[in-house]
Amino acid sequence: MSATSPSILQALSPSDTEDVAQRRALLAEIDASCRGTLMLFFGAALVWLLIGTVFALIASWKMHSPDFLADIPWLTFGRVRPAHLNAVVFGFASEAAIAVTLWLICRLCRAPLMHGWVVNIAGVFWNIGVAIGIGGILAGHSTAIEWLEIPGYATPLLFVSYALIAIWGIITFRFRREKHLYVSQWYLLAALFWFPWLYSAAQILLIMEPVRGVVQATVNWWFAHNVLGLWFTPIGIGAIYYFIPKVLGIPVYKYSLSVIGFWSLALFYNWNGMHHLVGGPLPAWLITVSIVASVMMTIPVVTVGLNHHFTMWGSFHKLKDSPVLRFMVFGGMSYTVTSLHGVLLALRSVSEVTHFTHSTIAHAHQGMYAFFTMVMFGAIYYIVPRIIQVEWPSARLISIHFWASAIGIMLYIVPLIIGGTLQGVAMINPDVPFLDPNKYSVVTMTVPYLRVRSVSGFIILVGHLAFATSFIWIVARWIKAARQHQPTPIVSNV
Amino acid sequence: MNYGPIIFLGVFLTIASSWIGLVLIPQVQFGRQQEVKIEETGEIYPTVRPGLAQQGMEIYKANGCIYCHSQQVRPEGYGADIARNWGQRRTVSRDYLHDNPVMLGTMRTGPDLSNIGVRQTSVLWHLQHLYNPQITSKGSIMPPFRFLFEKRKAGDKPSPDALALPKEFAPEPGSEIVPKPEARALVQYLLSLKANAPLPEAR
Amino acid sequence: MTVVWILFVSSVIVLPAAALLALRWAVRHGEFKNLQKTALSIFDEEEPVGRMTDRFPGPQRSSKSSQP
Ligand code: HEC
Repeated sequence: MSATSPSILQALSPSDTEDVAQRRALLAEIDASCRGTLMLFFGAALVWLLIGTVFALIASWKMHSPDFLADIPWLTFGRVRPAHLNAVVFGFASEAAIAVTLWLICRLCRAPLMHGWVVNIAGVFWNIGVAIGIGGILAGHSTAIEWLEIPGYATPLLFVSYALIAIWGIITFRFRREKHLYVSQWYLLAALFWFPWLYSAAQILLIMEPVRGVVQATVNWWFAHNVLGLWFTPIGIGAIYYFIPKVLGIPVYKYSLSVIGFWSLALFYNWNGMHHLVGGPLPAWLITVSIVASVMMTIPVVTVGLNHHFTMWGSFHKLKDSPVLRFMVFGGMSYTVTSLHGVLLALRSVSEVTHFTHSTIAHAHQGMYAFFTMVMFGAIYYIVPRIIQVEWPSARLISIHFWASAIGIMLYIVPLIIGGTLQGVAMINPDVPFLDPNKYSVVTMTVPYLRVRSVSGFIILVGHLAFATSFIWIVARWIKAARQHQPTPIVSNV
Repeated sequence: MNYGPIIFLGVFLTIASSWIGLVLIPQVQFGRQQEVKIEETGEIYPTVRPGLAQQGMEIYKANGCIYCHSQQVRPEGYGADIARNWGQRRTVSRDYLHDNPVMLGTMRTGPDLSNIGVRQTSVLWHLQHLYNPQITSKGSIMPPFRFLFEKRKAGDKPSPDALALPKEFAPEPGSEIVPKPEARALVQYLLSLKANAPLPEAR
Repeated sequence: MTVVWILFVSSVIVLPAAALLALRWAVRHGEFKNLQKTALSIFDEEEPVGRMTDRFPGPQRSSKSSQP
């Protein structure tokens, strides 16, 4: 099968029929309209990814060797860790998400991105906002509210840029030429709408006009969990819903399931956040509601999982040929595993053990990296050659990236979930001392696992460097090609 | 499902529901909570932190202590918080009335600090521990916060604010370690962390 | 205080009511019919069903050796 599949560039060669030529021209026009904007976002995302990875390594190393870089105030663990989180969440992941969302919306609406320069300006300001924010955290201006550490003087910039981008996405949607609304579009539009609501509500209620007392904690976790659930997750799922069928050339297994999956996610996910506060100083009903909603999450997870995996069923040998498919399938499988694991973690009896331990951290990376980041990598590998019409220079670099990321993140998650759970078992047993250098104690038993995590971090870094090399190389080729040729003739001005 | 507005409506309704449920209702329930008079002692609880402790909280925020320390005690029988002497009772919403931000925390790489001001009252202990946790807690993975201290040339006799340090941690002869105001403020904040007033709702 | 409660109670009624009305509208207008057709909307003559649209760059590597 795949032997007959044309390379991307072959696919752009002259066509046989009028209709196909027209469609091809439209596709090329759409891709060209996104070109500058997307390359800006992808490039910036990559820079944040590398910065975030370096912060991550420093933080991870400090956890088992606390004297490492200990005398530099702006590199103390409690600043590097939030700097890492904000660099990868608001720098890398959000920018990749925005770019992928815009491209998918354009493609699925069969409409070009109009006046892309507005989004470019928003993108530049977004990056300035993230940079100021992370600088502020390192300088000691963190708000100390998890996932919202960026100091108040940088957030309005972020919000305004984001609003512009979301409005642009929705405007493009209004000008669509395709009457069908594909499932990915539901997720993407919902995400564009949910994020500003979450972000502005959290900013106002926690930073500008803070509410009093423990209500802050509920707002905090309503926001923080929903950033995952209502911003990254829908974009990740929406991307998988497009890319797996598209790459394979096989329609989604059961489209009707996707309706159930979408609405159950919309309904249940946003009630989940309080499971981060089980046992905390909050009324029992609030936490119970969240635990129930967390358990209900099995519905969207299972339906989406069925759809993704059954679409893939029987095509697993194609993973060998397609880099995009590898990343997407890895991401899709991780989504199923992470979410079911998350349901478990929300249960009161499990939370008693795992809450407050490294297993939560492992779970967060399972979601943000093994699922979301891998999906974004796959999407970038698919989109970039199409918009700049240059092929990826090296298959080997892509392979290195995939394997380093996949092995690295597994080596991160599995030991840390085990180590974190054992840490929790030790912590709820008052006979185990909290710290004793000569005995099995809560603090010392975690150290080997933390070391393994640092090793995994280096492997992941190798993957990211391979990715960066690919990206710089393809951009160099693109610039060279642009110098040599006139603009490609296929790009018509419809 | 090809009609945009209906999807938008659904998407709006779902998030509005959780916003009402998880943000608005808790605010209605707790937004007006007040201090109470403790019957046993006749004191008002909780009190606003004095200024120095409040400054210390800024240091706590800035240096991310929250990523390793929680400030909440789970109820008896759920976890071993009380058995580990992290508190005599669970913490309840009223304990956090004057905290801004409320730093409940999600991680216990180190012990819970809700009652550190009850458990560890020695300023010297805290300063030594912050200067280098290995002094007081060998094998700790808490980072040293030496940048909250400064090294000075010692005069003929050690100045009164110099930090007493065991030999193997002391600076070379002729110099001494003096806590910066930040370190002192941070310790005052830690000493102010007490969630032990016998509140009726926490029994 | 009472204002908040009135708001809350009315929203508890208004939100589900709006959701139900929307659902009824959607069902009547055939929003849930012929769903499987939309699954095909991402394909066209240019990139039809049955054709893979991604593979590793460069000369065909594994596919030639392993495919019949
Ligand atoms: C990397 C994680 C980490 C960070 C960051 C951290 N700590 Fe700790 N902390 C620990 C560990 C582990 C212990 C237990 C061992 C010990 O006493 O050093 C501890 C113990 C403590 C104790 C003693 C608790 C007791 O019950 O004896 C105090 C007080 C404390 N930390 C305060 C702080 C303050 C203040 C900060 C921020 C400036 C901070 N910690 C940052 C890990 C951390």
